[in-house]
Amino acid sequence: MRKLKQNAISWLIMLPSIALFAFFLWTPLLQSVRMSFYRTRNIELVEFVGLSNYISIFGRQEFRQALANTFSYTFWSLLLGFFVPILLALVIGETVRGRGIFRTIAYLPNILPGLAAMILWSAFFSAEDTGVINIILGHLGFESRTFLTEVNLVIPIIVFISTWRGAGATALIYMAGLAGINPELYEAATIDGAGIWRRIRYITGPAIFNLGSTLLILQIITVFQIMYEPLVLTGGGPDNASMSLMLLMWNYAFGGAMDFGRASAVAVVTAVILLGFTVLYSIINKRKIEWD
Amino acid sequence: MRKKRKAGLPRTGIIRDFDKKTIGVKLTLAVVYIICAVIVIVSIFPIFWVFMAGFKDLREFMTSTAIMPEVFDFVRYVRTWNQLNFLSNYINSFYVILGSVISALVFNGLLAYGLTILKPKGHGIVNKLVIGSLLIPTTIALVPLFINIQNFNMGGFFTPLWLAAGANAFQVILFKQFFQSLPPSILDAAKIDGCGQLSIFSRIVMPLSKPICVVVTIFTVNGVWSDFLLPYLVLGVGRWQTVMVRLFVFSTQQTINNDDLMRAVVFSMIPPIIFFFFFQKTLTENITTVGIKG
Repeated sequence: MRKLKQNAISWLIMLPSIALFAFFLWTPLLQSVRMSFYRTRNIELVEFVGLSNYISIFGRQEFRQALANTFSYTFWSLLLGFFVPILLALVIGETVRGRGIFRTIAYLPNILPGLAAMILWSAFFSAEDTGVINIILGHLGFESRTFLTEVNLVIPIIVFISTWRGAGATALIYMAGLAGINPELYEAATIDGAGIWRRIRYITGPAIFNLGSTLLILQIITVFQIMYEPLVLTGGGPDNASMSLMLLMWNYAFGGAMDFGRASAVAVVTAVILLGFTVLYSIINKRKIEWD
Repeated sequence: MRKKRKAGLPRTGIIRDFDKKTIGVKLTLAVVYIICAVIVIVSIFPIFWVFMAGFKDLREFMTSTAIMPEVFDFVRYVRTWNQLNFLSNYINSFYVILGSVISALVFNGLLAYGLTILKPKGHGIVNKLVIGSLLIPTTIALVPLFINIQNFNMGGFFTPLWLAAGANAFQVILFKQFFQSLPPSILDAAKIDGCGQLSIFSRIVMPLSKPICVVVTIFTVNGVWSDFLLPYLVLGVGRWQTVMVRLFVFSTQQTINNDDLMRAVVFSMIPPIIFFFFFQKTLTENITTVGIKG
């Protein structure tokens, strides 16, 4: 009897938190799936329409473009965003004097509000001749560019800005990993005659690879949800060239049309793709997620 | 013969102290420091630039190619501050942060307390759901969350933002890991002394968990200050706008002056930068545990 009472009190203590999780995370997720099968008016579900939201979005040029763009974002972020933090970690790890300062400064952009960073960089990439990057290009003897209105440049630029903001934080994770390498390994390798490059190849490299495969998938999952960066910088333009899946969802829902059914269909498609990545993650990352 | 390096710190990278200082090694180290210099410039220059740009008026901002302003005129900052009425946005952000921190500590802490210490029958399923929540991309649930908030008639004020901080799976797991390391003997002693379950939490568990509470607080403050998508949906263009919502709405207006926009950006960056210099150790040391969330 006493045990029963204790259990009841324990559940009562957890109840408010559980309710919050349900309200902010669990029910919205289920609701997303449900809503994608309905025609909606404002925030109300009007009628069940089966797969027609899905058929409708797949028939739209903007959705197919957003899907392709999202993979393009992912590609560029692997090219830029994946290697820059590793380079940062390796280089800063080699310094002795000033290492703490280098770490701190590399991390600094990460604490800036993302929105402020995007607005700041949009001034840098301004199409005017007085935009900072154009001034630099001018000094180097190049023509001015319009940057964010160039179809081929807009996604790499957005990825570059995100990398600028995030690389220092990811580098700290790599640095922590590299600091965990047993120093005797380096000593032993040196005694065996291994130079710097062979030590990188046989000791540092494998250590980074372990950590990197985990961070890589997490990065893909994050980049796949890119939304506010193009929202602030380009609004998805020029001509949908930087439109991402999540931005398209935002536009359907909050861009005036209030088309929550279609927005949910986009969200569900994205979630399914992300689920695929997550499965891939758990296969690559053999350490299973701990359930305790 | 080379002299030994003066009583410096040992090398802990790939190049070690036992390496002979050959030309190759020296060259590599030179390149390392050059790259570090580039890192410093690329990280700091944009931030420095925007502070300087804030001193320029519109004409100078649009025509000058110089980094430094012609004059350091603080009046321009003051004018923009007053025009946009940033003080009220700062106060609103402060309220949101205050409520969010309390809610994050109380609700995430209580849930972790229930899952690691109380462990009532059937808690395993909640545990799985919370860890599963880590995998839910938050942006995907944004649309129905907005509808949830509308249905409960909570739009227009801070309440949903406060409560949202209390449903953070990462923080629950942080608390759990810490609670697991608490000595059970203390908790047992409290139980024998007749302490209730809630007072064990508030009088024993939380005071013993100060380090993790500091981490949760710092990351909540930083995250809440920067967030603008949900706050924008919740607060809209009304009088409760936070600094970031104000900046977002301002930046989407057609009629803004770019020099004012740069000053608004500076206003939004000053508190986090100050905060960073006070807490940079906690922030950088804990990034490995909290950092990978995108």
